[in-house]
Amino acid sequence: MNPAQIVEAVLFASDSPLRPEEISRADESLNEDSVEAALHQLRILYDESERAIQVVEVAEGYQIVTRAEFAPYLERFDSVPRPSRLSGPALETLAIIAYRQPIGRLEVEYIRGVSSAGVIRTLLDRELIEIVGRAEGLGRPLLYGTTRHFLEHFGFRTLDDLPRPEELPVILREPVSILPDEDDEQGGSDPDPSQEEMTLEAG
Amino acid sequence: MTSTLVQPGGDRDGILVVDLERFQGPLDLLLHLIRQQDIDIFDIPISRITQQFLKAIQGVAPENLDHAGEFLEMAATLIRIKAQMLLPRYGEEVDDDPRAELVRRLLEYEQIREVVGILSAAEADRARRFIRGYVPPRPRASGRDQPLESTWEEVFAAALEVRLPDPRDPTHRVTTREVAMEDKITLILSTLESVTRVEFRRLLDPLLGTMHGVMTFLATLELGRRRALRMRQASPFAELWIYRRDPSDDPWPDDAWPDAPGPDGPTNHQPDDPGGIQAQSPTEPQETLQ
Repeated sequence: MNPAQIVEAVLFASDSPLRPEEISRADESLNEDSVEAALHQLRILYDESERAIQVVEVAEGYQIVTRAEFAPYLERFDSVPRPSRLSGPALETLAIIAYRQPIGRLEVEYIRGVSSAGVIRTLLDRELIEIVGRAEGLGRPLLYGTTRHFLEHFGFRTLDDLPRPEELPVILREPVSILPDEDDEQGGSDPDPSQEEMTLEAG
Repeated sequence: MTSTLVQPGGDRDGILVVDLERFQGPLDLLLHLIRQQDIDIFDIPISRITQQFLKAIQGVAPENLDHAGEFLEMAATLIRIKAQMLLPRYGEEVDDDPRAELVRRLLEYEQIREVVGILSAAEADRARRFIRGYVPPRPRASGRDQPLESTWEEVFAAALEVRLPDPRDPTHRVTTREVAMEDKITLILSTLESVTRVEFRRLLDPLLGTMHGVMTFLATLELGRRRALRMRQASPFAELWIYRRDPSDDPWPDDAWPDAPGPDGPTNHQPDDPGGIQAQSPTEPQETLQ
């Protein structure tokens, strides 16, 4: 048995994406590098032999999936389970959390302009977001962040697959916190010395 | 988002027919009004937009107060900005455009809508790639361990539910170790050394906890299994009698059981024994359950 075969078997049997170091646990002869090499080999093999499946990189790992062009055939089968699509409010809330994590419920609601407790609970239940900590300040509000399953749901490798803020048509300065005692924002995109006025000049 | 805006000619401000259900919230609606009319977002005609916004939300159903409140809050913000712009400003405030924060929020929201489009496309693309036996994430029951985030009302309601201990309840427990069944076995055997039979109830100390009762019962069953005693009970929930069982008597045919002793039988417990609260008229054992 060669490494590519072992990797193929492990990926085939897995329900979720596997990281190279996870795959390498299958056999003592494997290490991260040999798994990466085997994955590369598999991808070429699947491409060249025009297989209906492919190896994709998703959620910081690798997964065997069918190629997108076969979706019409598979969709005819009710028995083929498929992920359910998210609602508008759910996508909106996820978008905010993905870019501003860690972020609390009140800030999400301020950005959306509508209450969001219900949709946050749904996203938690679906394990698309998780509680990553608590903020300082009154009531020590919970802070949310996206999960690995979030990456999986959208087919992202990492959060870097999301366009950076400066790549979006609307350019914004750093996120503003509505919490009174958080003048020192950490994270966010390129800090700008003149961030106060940047918004109004961005157009 | 397609147009829901109707602007018949003549009226300078237009008559707006907006289906609010189609908007995610007040920011969405406001952004729609601005973009629809090609208004420069950095120079919003607050007066006109406020008027349009108020007209648009006239149809908000009052029964959906939460939803309506969000729109009304934005309306209040717009009116406040409008008022601030009418007031003369002095000194360092001159540079502060009262619209700045609203513009920032609108741009931020527009950016989020942009990301929503990207996420939606990614989701659709991902949905076309099937994994083997993909199991869609099912909503889990929220019974998982999660840090608590409660409103004050919830905390207050929970506080009202708390049942304070009855001060008359003479509960006084100093527990240093778990109840040992061996202790209860010793208790039963030593009791049966002085008397030939005893009501199960008398073995229980009402001042000790439930666990003692449970362990006493388990000890009784264990001794029964070891053939160290016999149990008799007239009927379900009747008094359980525990009999001494001498090895010399064994085997003891069921029909050879002695008649149940009466109140003047060989028991050394008095009816007013503090250990046995309800021992005035012990139920006569009549049939064997085991």
